[in-house]
Amino acid sequence: MDLCVFGVDDGYAEAIIRGLRASFLTEAQYQQMKNCASIPELKSFLEETDYQNCLQADNPQIPTSILRQRLKKKLADEFEYIEAQSTGTLTKYLFHLRCRFMIDNVVNMIEGLKNKIDIEILLSNIDPLGWFPEIKNIKVLEGDDYSSLYRDVLIDTPIGVYFMKFLEESIENLHENRTLNDIQNLFREMKPEYIRTSLKKMWLEDFYLFCEQELMPTSQEALLELLKFEADFKTIQVIYNSIGNRDLNTAAKIITTRKQLCPTIGNLYPDCEKMYLQAMTLDALREAVKGCDNYRDLLKDAPDPLKREEFNVQTKTLDDIMYDDECRRYALAFDGQGSYGVFYSYLKLKEQEIRNIIWLAEMISRKLAKNHPGWKKIIIPFSHLGK
Amino acid sequence: MSFFRSKKMRYYSLVIPRESAWVVMNELARLGQLHFVDYDPQLPMINRPFANYVKRCDDSLFKLNCLELLLKEFKKDLNYCENVEGLLDHFQEVQYNRMKPGHTYFDELESEIDQKKIQIQEQSANLHNLLDRVNVITEQQLVLENAKEILGQSMFQQQTPHNANEYQQLKFGQLIGVIDKEEEVRFKRIIFRVTKGNAWVQIKDLNNEQIDNSMRKSFHLNQNNTSQPRCLFVIVYPGAEESSSIRMKLMKVCDSFNRQRIEYPNSIDQLQKRMIDLTQQLQEAKNLIEMTKKQLEQSLDDLVLQKQGCNCSYFEYMRLYVLKEKYLYVNLNYLTMRGSIFTGYFWLPEGLEVMVEEKLRNAMQNNRDHYPTGQIQEIKPQSITPPTYFNLNEVTMPFQEIVNTYGVPRYQEVNPGLFTIITFPFLFGVMFADIAHGFMLFLCGIYLIFWKKQLLKQTDSMFNLMIPFRYLVVLMGFFAFYNGIIYNDYLSISLNLFGSCYSPENQEWKRESKDCVYPFGVDPVWQASGSSLNFMNSYKMKLSVILGVIHMLFGILMKGVNTLYFKNYVDFFCEFIPQLLFMICTFGWMDFIIIVKWLNSYQNNTDPSIIETMINQVLKPFDKPVNPVFPNNPELQLQITQILTLIAVICIPWMLLPKPLILGGKSDKNKVAMSDSQYQPLVLEKQVSDFDDDNNQQFHNDLQNAANHKSFTEQNHEEHDSGEIWVHQMIETIEFVLGGISNTASYLRLWALSLAHGQLAEVFYDMCLADKLDTGGILGGFLGGYFYIVFALLTFGVLMTMDVMECFLHALRLHWVEFQNKFYKADGYLFNGYSYKKLLNDNLKSSNSK
Repeated sequence: MDLCVFGVDDGYAEAIIRGLRASFLTEAQYQQMKNCASIPELKSFLEETDYQNCLQADNPQIPTSILRQRLKKKLADEFEYIEAQSTGTLTKYLFHLRCRFMIDNVVNMIEGLKNKIDIEILLSNIDPLGWFPEIKNIKVLEGDDYSSLYRDVLIDTPIGVYFMKFLEESIENLHENRTLNDIQNLFREMKPEYIRTSLKKMWLEDFYLFCEQELMPTSQEALLELLKFEADFKTIQVIYNSIGNRDLNTAAKIITTRKQLCPTIGNLYPDCEKMYLQAMTLDALREAVKGCDNYRDLLKDAPDPLKREEFNVQTKTLDDIMYDDECRRYALAFDGQGSYGVFYSYLKLKEQEIRNIIWLAEMISRKLAKNHPGWKKIIIPFSHLGK
Repeated sequence: MSFFRSKKMRYYSLVIPRESAWVVMNELARLGQLHFVDYDPQLPMINRPFANYVKRCDDSLFKLNCLELLLKEFKKDLNYCENVEGLLDHFQEVQYNRMKPGHTYFDELESEIDQKKIQIQEQSANLHNLLDRVNVITEQQLVLENAKEILGQSMFQQQTPHNANEYQQLKFGQLIGVIDKEEEVRFKRIIFRVTKGNAWVQIKDLNNEQIDNSMRKSFHLNQNNTSQPRCLFVIVYPGAEESSSIRMKLMKVCDSFNRQRIEYPNSIDQLQKRMIDLTQQLQEAKNLIEMTKKQLEQSLDDLVLQKQGCNCSYFEYMRLYVLKEKYLYVNLNYLTMRGSIFTGYFWLPEGLEVMVEEKLRNAMQNNRDHYPTGQIQEIKPQSITPPTYFNLNEVTMPFQEIVNTYGVPRYQEVNPGLFTIITFPFLFGVMFADIAHGFMLFLCGIYLIFWKKQLLKQTDSMFNLMIPFRYLVVLMGFFAFYNGIIYNDYLSISLNLFGSCYSPENQEWKRESKDCVYPFGVDPVWQASGSSLNFMNSYKMKLSVILGVIHMLFGILMKGVNTLYFKNYVDFFCEFIPQLLFMICTFGWMDFIIIVKWLNSYQNNTDPSIIETMINQVLKPFDKPVNPVFPNNPELQLQITQILTLIAVICIPWMLLPKPLILGGKSDKNKVAMSDSQYQPLVLEKQVSDFDDDNNQQFHNDLQNAANHKSFTEQNHEEHDSGEIWVHQMIETIEFVLGGISNTASYLRLWALSLAHGQLAEVFYDMCLADKLDTGGILGGFLGGYFYIVFALLTFGVLMTMDVMECFLHALRLHWVEFQNKFYKADGYLFNGYSYKKLLNDNLKSSNSK
């Protein structure tokens, strides 16, 4: 039924997305990019592609950070255009997508401020997709007083809700007779990465709920599936990264932290929850997730986190493996019609493309030999389809 | 007869040494008659030897675009080039005077453009910075003034310290500054939260856009500046110490809004001093702006200036030169580079070889270092069809355009564009037949022809779009006028130009004399007779069928001409002859009896029905006609019809069977020959013989087979081929036989549209004018005047615009479908000459229309 009326409100936006689908770089183009000898050459190659307009005004010897900023700006412009064309639920949905980038931006700002990086640099590095006016006021942050940051600045923003929940949870976890000092200590020790992960977890859960309650069945079908996988991947990543982590020295601490960070949705939750929370080695983790989909195969190739020191550029890390699998799933979302899944997938795949280009630019600017394994470390969207 | 068939093309190879590549290409582009063939169309441009130069040209063009925007911002008008030939001569002269290799001139220009762009952009950036500075200063002034008003005198007074300590708490500090208007609410909210409501915030609009614009106006600058509206804020908070925590916090918040915060002076004196200071700064900044602007204008004027001997602005000169250079390199990229030699292939219209050689010699002379220039050599084209090239002029262009829109003629086939010149306006005229309307259209065309120059200058005129088609419009108008006279239709009234043969007498029409005939067109008396519609319908219907059959027969004849020209005798005997016979024996015969019927008079209701005659001819082939067309001679008619029907029926298998049989045999032979020898040339010979073959498909397959050298092992493949020929021929035959009927019927649109046109005109005339003419007196005059306007508007809107369009489209269809499907292959591709003149002309237009 919803396929009949989908086009009424959202047909145009979907059509644009499907048109933009043509702008993805092809495998042949990646091949040519790999053959570029210098950054100016790479830039002039990109000017032949869809990225033409956003790069034209720049100096040929473009630094990677600016290049990234330009590419992201282009993606943000496209997204903004689509957002402006959307109505009703789609607008809400697209806004939800943006929240993920806002979280990133906020955490990056906090991290930067903590490391005393100049505010101008921080502001110029903001991901344009997650821009919101309050972001520049984050510099009001004093010390580690996140609660006053929330109270003064973030309260009105879309991610304020998540931030509040996060604060509440962190404080709740303290022992009963807590003092103000305890809270301050807690925040001081808290790593921005931890904030990011928990905020994103809340966002994911919230987004999942939104999809479940407000979207039409076709969109739900596509999206819930994707979100479940994303939640599972997040869980696996949390567990994986916490194995052998030196900051978490006691078993009880590991489990509470894991419990806080693992999303409460997905295929692994709640069935395997007990198993994975307890997993202290990679093998145990493999055992915990073996019942679900292809997770075991994915983890089969993952390097052991206990030997983290031995990792180098060549190692195919868990992240790489997961990006690869995600890309495949997102590309599949383009097969379905009349679903909001494409918007989500488009963003994710374009992000991957930007990551690829930046990676190649880094490789080129470091003048690495062409047989260096790093050259193979790009994941090309839609390249799975041919196989 | 250069227009009847496309020009003969010759295929040449060109060899140029690297050193003189630029000179040679430059000379050849002036000739403008070479069609370069890309040696590998699949190869991306970026991998070609001169990709770098093309890129540099693009960069320069981009820079020039930036400059153009600035020129526009400062309202500098450029002199655009009007005479391309003159400009090209000027380029040549500049090159000649330089006494350096030609291609280095671009390097010079490039660096000049680069310099100019940097210089001008820097100046413009300076200007903008200064403007911003002025803005900031005026803003400060405004803020201070306003703050003074808001805070009042008491703010200063409370600063003088009292000795009592308890007053300390009643002291207030203040912060003033500027924020963006859209952040006003957020700002207030954050301040409220940070101070927990313990601060008093006042916000006031600055109206800075107006100030900004008025200032820009005073410098004669572009005023559509998009500065955001801003407002000033004043915060008063308790506690006056410099380092109180609330003050620090507030300052942090204010600073995070990224606009300026202003120190508020401690006393009135200081405030006044500050104000005077600011006014001085403002004056200085304004002087600076004046200077910078002058400089900038000067640099821009340099671009607008016409250099000596050049017929356009220097800017335009550079732009066109860079375009030309880019074009040269793009074409040079079509050549392959082997070592230090470029090799390429091009098509050249026959007979121009001498000119090319002369140009090459020229290049040699102009070349300062006297490098050897290129060589050309004619070679046999391999398996590629030459491009189609016509020498067109302004009259023939629109007609060829009509044909090309459907499809470009195949190389050397009969070009329908030639006949379209006369048939198209004529068929249009048959449909649009009206003396007055036709004449108006004619006048419109005449106007376009004679006032062309004046019209071209008014870029906004709607006539401008019609200028290329002016000769078409004149001819269409003329034929509509001519056919209007034949139909004797003047805005639905018949004109009695030559004196009617009938006169009213005792409520009856009396013919003047037995031999009296109205000299030209239809006798106006028909309109008065009451049966005029019946008469005209039958007349127009028959006329359109006659015209249609003639048109189609002509198309079939052209097919014959084509087959003879390409020496394709299979098609001549197995398709052209039976098709011609079929058409003549069926619809040709029908035309004939229509005319016979017109020529004879029949007594006592024995006039034959044409349709009935035609149907009976097939259904009752052995019965004598009841109402014979030949009066009193039904036997003769029966014999003729029997013979004709027989011929027509025989023609059908004749079209269908022999051709596939012959071709099948041929390809069998080829197959045997091919398995014997595996040389490529054999295929090429075969291509010549099969050139105009309908079954191009078959040829392609053969070519593939030869390429694979496997054909003799694949028996199945061959079977498939001849099967394809059969299917193809079957479709062709069915299409022709059924098409004969449906196409003839399709020509009835000539009648239908003319009927529609006539009836519309009549309705407008009757409703608006006819009965109003009877009302006498002043009222009648006013009414008549009013209804005349309605009539004129309707006539213009419906008949002169919509109906012209409709008749145009139907005439187009009759040409594209009914006429051209008889012979036209339309699978050629256009000759694309390598010519500076064409390139620059194309680019001139776009800059004029901007």
